[in-house]
Parts: sequence; C-alpha cells; structure tokens
Amino acid sequence: MELAEPFEMTQPAISQHLKVLEDAGLIVRRVDGTKRPRRLAKAGIETMDQWLAMLRKALETNYDRLDAVLTSMELKKQKGEKQ
Amino acid sequence: MSKLALKTEGDTHVVVTRRFAAPPEAVYRAHLDPSLVQKWMLGPEGWTMPVCINDARPGGKIRYEWTNGKGGAFYLTGEFVELEPYHRIVHVERMHLPDPTPDNHIETRFEADGTGTLMTMRMTLPDAETRAAMLATGMERGMEASYARLESMF
Repeated sequence: MELAEPFEMTQPAISQHLKVLEDAGLIVRRVDGTKRPRRLAKAGIETMDQWLAMLRKALETNYDRLDAVLTSMELKKQKGEKQ
Repeated sequence: MSKLALKTEGDTHVVVTRRFAAPPEAVYRAHLDPSLVQKWMLGPEGWTMPVCINDARPGGKIRYEWTNGKGGAFYLTGEFVELEPYHRIVHVERMHLPDPTPDNHIETRFEADGTGTLMTMRMTLPDAETRAAMLATGMERGMEASYARLESMF
C-alpha cells in the first residue's frame, strides 16, 4: 500500500510491477503481519552488473576477432579481383 | 576506448551496437557462413567451435558446439526466424548448460555507415536464474583462460 501511494496506479498494477522486480531477483519480499515490506536485493543487482560485464567482455573479444576475419575477407576479395 | 556500446532497454532487453570497417554484405556473411563464424564467435581465449551448423532460412536450425580441449564443453541450439540478406537476421537461441536456458530472441541489423557497417543487436535479457547459471559457466571459462595466461608467464 505504502509503495503505491506516490503513484497514480491501482494497487494490483503496483503489485504486478513488484512481482516482475521480485522474479528478476532485484527486490526481496518479507512477511510482517499483514504487511509485505520489500527491500532491494543487493545480490540480484550485483548479478545483473556481473552478467552485463561478462556479456560485454565476451562480445568485445568476439568482435575484435571478427574485425580480423573481415580484414582477411577483404584481402581475399582484392586478390580475386586482381587475378 | 571501447568500440562497443551496450545498454539495457527496460527490464527485458539488451541492445549492443558496434561499428565495423567492412561493408554490411561482409559483416552479414561473417554471421552466417559457418567457416567464418568458427573463426570469431569463440568467447574466451583457448576455446574452439568444432561444430557450427547454420541453416540460413526461416525455420532453419542453428547448432554451435564449443570446447576448450580440456573437457570443458557446452552448446547452443536455435532457429532462424527471418533473414533479410545483408541487412537483418532474426533468430532464437538457447544455451545448454546442460539444462536449456529460456529462449533468447535476437535481432541483428547491419546498416551502411560510410564505407563500414553499424551493427545493432537487440536481445532478450535473461531472468535472474539464467544469469546466475551463465555467470557460473562464464566465470569458470574466464578463470580457465586467466589461469592459462598466468601459466604461460612462468
């Protein structure tokens, strides 16, 4: 309820957004009587950063190799044109 | 300076852009021709792709298998959805770690940019569980590569 107050959205809509964040591992829900307090899941956010860093590194390595492949394709084409 | 830009789009997608010095036709071919893909889509140092199947037509199968020659191996399967020669590739892929990860929908665009190409790849952001599984595999792979480099220093 408290989380919904600042937004012009219905409680079910807010709950749906919170569920998406929870499923993504970005927030954690606790049960406290009738309340369901949420907090940021530090581990989830760090995992996201780590995953993006890993993806970046893998792609950078791959595309640097692709640059070399493209250069050799171009050289082959030039050779073919000369013959 | 990195030539690659990577950003998240909402909670659901990652968009990667990269410029290449070659024209779109060459970059497009290098993404589909197995003998070319095997030269670059390898991840960390020390890994090779002994199996590369790309049946480049809508519904055609994709299968890539990687190995580090030291017992480390994993593979990816997928299907092509749409192919617009030299301009756009749409495909679905999943990694097998060995359990299959949820389908990753990927659209790759190649646009002429001067004498080169601007490539834009838009992919599904994996869920938390998949990210953790990929990280576990990736870290292992990354660390093996680091250890191999460390060993070569002695």
